Amino acid sequence: MAVTALYVHVPFCAQKCRYCDFDSRSFALCDLDAALDSYFEQLYARLDSFGDAGALAQVRTVYIGGGTPSLAGERLVKLARRISMWCKPVEFTCEANPESLTAELATALAEAGVTRISLGVQTLDNTELAAIGRIHDANRALAAIATVKDAGLDVSCDLMCGLPGQTAASWRSTLDGVLEAAPHHVSVYPLTLEEGTPLYRMACRDESLEPDEDFQASCMDVARELLGAAGYHPYEVASYALDGHECAHNIAYWTGRGYLGLGRSAAGMLDTGDFDRLAGLFPGVSARGDAYRVRLVQRDDDATSFEAEYLSQREAAAEDLMLACRMTRGIASDLLVRAARVIPADELTAACDRALELGLATWVPETLGVHEGPFTSADVVAGHVRARLAPTHLGWLDGNVLFELFWDLA
Amino acid sequence: MYRSGKIVRMNTSIDISHIRNFSIVAHIDHGKSTISDRILELTHTVDERDMESQLLDTMDIERERGITIKSNAVRVSYDADDGETYQFNLIDTPGHVDFTYEVSRSLAACEGAVLVVDATQGVEAQTVSNATLAMNANLDIVPAINKIDLPSAHPDEVKTEIEDDLAIPADDAVCVSGKTGEGIHDLLESIVFLISPPKGDANAPLKALILDSYFDEYRGVVATVRVFDGSIKKGDTLLMMQAKGDFLVDGVGVKRPAETPVDALTVGEVGYVVTGLKDPEAVRVGDTLTWASNPCPEPLPGYREAKPMVYTGLFPIDNKDYENLRDALDKLHVNDPSLVWEPETSVALGFGFRVGFLGLLHMEVVKERLEREFNLDLIATSPSVDYHVYKTDGEMIDVRSPQDLPEATRIDRIEEPYLKAKIICPPEYTGAVMQLAIEHRGVTTDMIHLTSKSVEMRFDMPLAELILDFFDQLKSRTKGYASLDYEFNEYRPSELVKLDILLSGDEVDALSFIVHKDKAYGLARGLCDKLKEIIPRQLFEVPIQGAIGNKIIARSTVKARRKDVLAKCYGGDISRKRKLLEKQKEGKKRMKAIGSVEVPQEAFMAILKVDE
Repeated sequence: MAVTALYVHVPFCAQKCRYCDFDSRSFALCDLDAALDSYFEQLYARLDSFGDAGALAQVRTVYIGGGTPSLAGERLVKLARRISMWCKPVEFTCEANPESLTAELATALAEAGVTRISLGVQTLDNTELAAIGRIHDANRALAAIATVKDAGLDVSCDLMCGLPGQTAASWRSTLDGVLEAAPHHVSVYPLTLEEGTPLYRMACRDESLEPDEDFQASCMDVARELLGAAGYHPYEVASYALDGHECAHNIAYWTGRGYLGLGRSAAGMLDTGDFDRLAGLFPGVSARGDAYRVRLVQRDDDATSFEAEYLSQREAAAEDLMLACRMTRGIASDLLVRAARVIPADELTAACDRALELGLATWVPETLGVHEGPFTSADVVAGHVRARLAPTHLGWLDGNVLFELFWDLA
Repeated sequence: MYRSGKIVRMNTSIDISHIRNFSIVAHIDHGKSTISDRILELTHTVDERDMESQLLDTMDIERERGITIKSNAVRVSYDADDGETYQFNLIDTPGHVDFTYEVSRSLAACEGAVLVVDATQGVEAQTVSNATLAMNANLDIVPAINKIDLPSAHPDEVKTEIEDDLAIPADDAVCVSGKTGEGIHDLLESIVFLISPPKGDANAPLKALILDSYFDEYRGVVATVRVFDGSIKKGDTLLMMQAKGDFLVDGVGVKRPAETPVDALTVGEVGYVVTGLKDPEAVRVGDTLTWASNPCPEPLPGYREAKPMVYTGLFPIDNKDYENLRDALDKLHVNDPSLVWEPETSVALGFGFRVGFLGLLHMEVVKERLEREFNLDLIATSPSVDYHVYKTDGEMIDVRSPQDLPEATRIDRIEEPYLKAKIICPPEYTGAVMQLAIEHRGVTTDMIHLTSKSVEMRFDMPLAELILDFFDQLKSRTKGYASLDYEFNEYRPSELVKLDILLSGDEVDALSFIVHKDKAYGLARGLCDKLKEIIPRQLFEVPIQGAIGNKIIARSTVKARRKDVLAKCYGGDISRKRKLLEKQKEGKKRMKAIGSVEVPQEAFMAILKVDE
């Protein structure tokens, strides 16, 4: 199966946000330029070796994330052009932060083949922005949304709930403000304190900074309600889109498609067929006979060191089931039937039953208008009935329990 | 024997007048261990570079917790300024109330004690209680004022305190620094001159005290002994006067601190005896050894069997580990004969054991060793004492687990063990101590002003009150100044009830607790609240109820968890996400599923954490 998705990581920020534990570094301005230059040279070279190996021809979606890719300015445009030389993606996303996204950059990116900008808005409350170490304000963010739209690009806004000082009212007004700006896509993430981040350390001293689960749950509910009413349908744990504007790249992650990772800390996932063909691009990573899927994380800037994880066919199937639970539509019946070829049907049925029993998921018939009559999980697993196992409200907010249930089948 | 190129002389035929047996006693953190280490160093028993600090505490847990659990005796040779060579036997003693019996055994083996007092802190509560113990054992006391290297040291004031508070002449007090080594030489000289040599008759029939014992796979039980009369050598047949068994001596030796064989242990000496006995229970601490063929007429006084005071259930989290737990207990028992157990079954926790301990610290240490050395995950349930339950049919049963308590209608009365407790503390804390005792159903029976700075209070109180958090509370309410000692007094009738805990409406037998009826309501409320804190939120709401019989007397609720989802995706790094999930799951492994409720281990000990 050819690789259809490409992820590129740009691990640089003007200033690291206090909650962030992603791989990204901030530099003093003079050093930043040099660091970006050298890093992007390596990206171009790596990209070309992928291209030369024929790995990019079938790529349909591209996502450049960070860090703050927009910080790279012209280098980013050059990267986008270079990517567009190797493939013709239908969706090409660039992450950007409001302060570094200028109209010129947006236009240049659009010309270079980019179709979509994902903006780190987080909140439209300036006090909340300052508390998490963001260096832009609400107006700048709103202006950036407009800029992206003016450039003819799709725009997605990332929002966070459970921020220090956030209230139900400020959350509603953030949502209202974002809806007013009318992006095509919205992501809502509950803040998690990650060990080692400044916010984590601050919360160790001041418990009030620790996000309150109940508050976050009600924020997520409110978001679902307000965004839903405005025509944004939830298609994944954190993602909302106007019809036809779902992020195809993101969906690739949750549906077990292969993807390539480019840049330091970028993850890729290949089936063994693809891996065998591209093994030369991953020095030091050996093939393994019993593996079905390989996940690779680039450890350094110049792509000489990788971390590899090998999954057996059964593990890969369990992972696909787990990831499918992230999608609002849940686990499709053909995925279940396919999984039953490597996971004993009784175990699979038991996991479905447990999910139903805990109220985490429910069966939704896939064939509209056809009345299936009463059926059991075993019927679906055996392929007698076509129905998808969709997460309930509880299965959405308490997704980890559901994920674990299916990953346990590995 | 060679050690770092230096020849250590095996002086086995030293004259009794050249032996000094002593122990070092101190308030916690006043530097007992560093001074022991310095003595070993200065007498070249251990080379500086081999020096592992706090050599005498050998068990991992002892070193980590900075507490001494087992007694230990080390022999050092000291070439004194008078040109003579002396044999010092340094006997280390446990410092916790659970192990008081071992302390008294160890002191019985000494003629003297070095009393260490911190030059910056002065005399503190344990200084007083330890000095009292030493004086009661008629030991010669050498005061040593430690940490004189510190700028805040005030040795002269400390000397006055020693004289005033302890009534010990302080002219002879030695000023030392365990850190720099200053004064240690003077201390060694003082030991020679101030501590009496042992008395005893080398030609009389053997009379030796067993201070401690441990089990060695190859040599069987090895006993640490102090010889009071006669001598022991390899090939002797010895009789244990209390246990009434005999054995052939397989070898004798001393610790320096490595075990070193010697030809004989003669009168006044301390060392070890290899018994070859394969049954650890055959040898009892406190027993008297004598020659089988020519026994001494009377055993040494003071033998007391170490009796368990506290019983808790120990259950493997994974039921498959039941056999492993039994094997592990068997193995630990070899070195710790005070450990007793019987099988116990719980509806909630499955198969496990009801284990008897000397006290809660002993329990913690044993549980920690079982988990660490045998790789077990264990749940310990609420501690209980041994209740005497008189049933209406006239039968008396021993109840050590709340689950074994018969129905209320079949109980005529319950009697519980009472203690005589002795607390020594500075006068300003007597009010706080009395208040604490009252809260724990204690009655003051006596109060003696020992010195201007210490008062001894005596209480009658139920053992059940003492085994919970009494010791910790006492320490915190007296800022660490109080010391506690206790002994069993008698069984007395008491109005006791069984407090049950229900989770989601179902009684969880392993959470039940026997409690005085006047305290049941407060404890039930406290326990429900504490469990609410300990039990993590689940997918559904979990009501917690406290009940006596059918009557619900307290309740709380663990709210349903509303959100638990990893939402953010790190550039497609799904492994990372899965690892987070797996980490969460690791945490859950330490929990026990009771019905559909995931309950963490510590919930079963929540009773210890209830603030009343």
